[in-house]
Amino acid sequence: MSNLAAAVARPRERSREEQREQRPHLEIAASRAQKRARPRVVYALAVIAGIGVILIAQLLMSIVTADGAYEISSLQTKQKQLGQERKALNEKLEVLGSTQNLTQNAEALGMVASGNPVFLDVANGRVSGTATPDGGSITGGGNLIGNSLLTGSKAVDPAAIAAARAAADAAAAGQHTEDPTQGFDGGTTTGGDSASGASGAGTGSGDVASGAENVIPAPTTR
Amino acid sequence: MIVVFAIVAVFGVRLFDFQVVRAAELNKASASKQTAVTKVWGTRGSIVDANGVVLADSVERWDITASPKDVVVDGFVRSKKAEDGTVTKEHVSVMDALGEIAEITGSDTNKLYEDLSKDPTSNFAYLVKGVKLDVFNKVKALGIPWVWDQPHPARTYPNGAVAGNLVGFLGTDGALAGLEKSYDACLTGTDGTQTYEVSRDGVRMPGSTVTTKQAVDGGTLKLTIDSDLQYFAQQTIAAQAQAMGAQWATAAVVDVRTGKLVVAADYPSIDPNNLDSVPAESSGSRFFTAPYEPGSIMKPATVASLIDAGVLQITDKYTVPGWYTNTLPAGSKIGDVFAHGDMHWTVAGIIEQSSNVGVSMISEKLSLPKRTEYLKKFGFGTKTGVGFLGEESGTVQNPVGLDPISNKAQQFGQAISVTSAQMASLYQTLGNNGVTVPLSLVEGCQHSDGTVTEAPTPTSTRVVSDYAAQQTLLAMETVASKGPLKSTISIPGYRIAAKTGTAQVGGADGKYGSDRIVSVAGLLKVDDPNYAVIVTLGLPTKIKTSAAAAPAFAAIMKQVIKTYRVQPSTTATPDTPTEW
Repeated sequence: MSNLAAAVARPRERSREEQREQRPHLEIAASRAQKRARPRVVYALAVIAGIGVILIAQLLMSIVTADGAYEISSLQTKQKQLGQERKALNEKLEVLGSTQNLTQNAEALGMVASGNPVFLDVANGRVSGTATPDGGSITGGGNLIGNSLLTGSKAVDPAAIAAARAAADAAAAGQHTEDPTQGFDGGTTTGGDSASGASGAGTGSGDVASGAENVIPAPTTR
Repeated sequence: MIVVFAIVAVFGVRLFDFQVVRAAELNKASASKQTAVTKVWGTRGSIVDANGVVLADSVERWDITASPKDVVVDGFVRSKKAEDGTVTKEHVSVMDALGEIAEITGSDTNKLYEDLSKDPTSNFAYLVKGVKLDVFNKVKALGIPWVWDQPHPARTYPNGAVAGNLVGFLGTDGALAGLEKSYDACLTGTDGTQTYEVSRDGVRMPGSTVTTKQAVDGGTLKLTIDSDLQYFAQQTIAAQAQAMGAQWATAAVVDVRTGKLVVAADYPSIDPNNLDSVPAESSGSRFFTAPYEPGSIMKPATVASLIDAGVLQITDKYTVPGWYTNTLPAGSKIGDVFAHGDMHWTVAGIIEQSSNVGVSMISEKLSLPKRTEYLKKFGFGTKTGVGFLGEESGTVQNPVGLDPISNKAQQFGQAISVTSAQMASLYQTLGNNGVTVPLSLVEGCQHSDGTVTEAPTPTSTRVVSDYAAQQTLLAMETVASKGPLKSTISIPGYRIAAKTGTAQVGGADGKYGSDRIVSVAGLLKVDDPNYAVIVTLGLPTKIKTSAAAAPAFAAIMKQVIKTYRVQPSTTATPDTPTEW
């Protein structure tokens, strides 16, 4: 044969049986790149697990949110109730603080109107004004300016105040080691107790035992 | 794949089921979910005095209501949880339940049953109105299924009748009188609305509340009144009026430099908590609304006008006879409160002795139109700057064609009608060196958002000169230092200027009768005036001269000194001649 002929020579045709015997089991050999690109089972499982986790997290969060919503709702109700109680107590306080009630209680305790004021000029130590004796009640023959909200006697009971003060002193003494500032300003503490005692006397001295913790600041004069 | 299709198919069937097959039934069930709209009250603002003491306040009350439609005649079962955790069930009949409510609220069981059974098909009936918080909580704790409640704000006046005449009161439809009414715009809040969803058994669904309109609370009205001093003044004039058998009384304390009314007291004064506490004609404020002839406390206005016009000095000498007849028609005469012969009085003496004859004589120095003009400049015949509800302006007679007696009488406070407020304004002017600062009762309105609307600053006007005002005060000082009532009204260490008044009261027939309106007016202190005090007693029966009002005047003056820490006078009372 010529070279050309040799070059283009077709391979000899095999017979069918030969082909069947000799057919190799062919696979496309995956290249390295293709091997890497193939999706792996573990990733699929991870994704599905992730979705599961997210769903569970969502469920848990909505449980917590709902729980929080219930708690908010119950706290709001509590807040509303406390607000109402505060207003009711404030109303009581205003009536107890009315001029008629204070005057009655002051006179029941034996207080009298003061005499003429006398002034001391601190800059030069001069005293001006003529003192007159105290005495006389502001209401003379009895209070004439009515207040229909003051039903019943709201008179303060000195015995109740004394008992409340004793109880508060005992409580303060017990607390002294925990809170050193309690005993520091003895004047303020006693003043605070008697103030809270006075307002609590109407409801009974038992309520005032806690007065030591809730010290009311000393009143400021005008 | 098949699994996916199966799942989709299940959902598809379910969807079809809801949207088509059971649509009508589900729609009906959801229609029972209602959206309810409730009103959220804007709280009415409070009224406070100059120091913040509350004079009027809004409080929460509740109405206990019922739904008769939902009442089961056999009663209901209540389960009670004891402290140890055991749950007991008890059967409560309708009458038992009503009995429990009646016991807590203090009402009558039968009346409650009547109200409940009046209209059995309605879903609303009032059981008890206006209960306080503790009662409300107790009723709620009973757990009766057909009992409901609604809030019903109410008004309380913690200080009762103190300043009751000024504060006013509310009726069923709103403010009826006083400052509650005239400053309603400041005090009223705006109601808001809220919508929420209600389930079929009427329970509000949590989290479904939507506020469509925000409620705005009313503002706080701040007054110039000092409530303690007001109480003292009210108590003093009430005691004095009762002791003297007077029908009414007023008291004023004015800060002369600012025109602020610190006390504007009335007797009788209503307690706004109880509208029946005084008769209807006394439920307002006579101080602003009831004009009367003031009598001799008008004389300082005459003296000040004449000095300002340059025609008079307080040292001018006059021979004052027992009767005044000059220019009067035959048979008419003007006399003094006590009979006397010719007296040698200076103008200061005429004031000290409160001589009508003397005032008539000095009035000849200035023409009637000019004198009337001065009276009008002092504010008579016009309402004061307060603008109180129903305030009267009184009457200053037209000088044209005025009869000769009124011509002179108006200079000593008859034939002219004024209110207590206008008299307070006169003394404010005299104490402020002749400059009128219009009276005010309200400092301002503090709105709920914190902003403050101050009352407009009043414009001052000069009526008489400094000299005229000061000379008038010197003349008035002789009343407290030398006059007949000096022991009652003088205060050691303080230079007080005062004037007494005993006015005749015209009867229904137009003639003056035996009734009197007595008053004492004064200023503290002559060397540095800061407060004017006026006490007026109407129609006293025990003592019919100004001695009836003098003790109250002195007491209130002393209390003003204590309240405002007024220091004693630094100069001594000069010896102003009253006789010559």
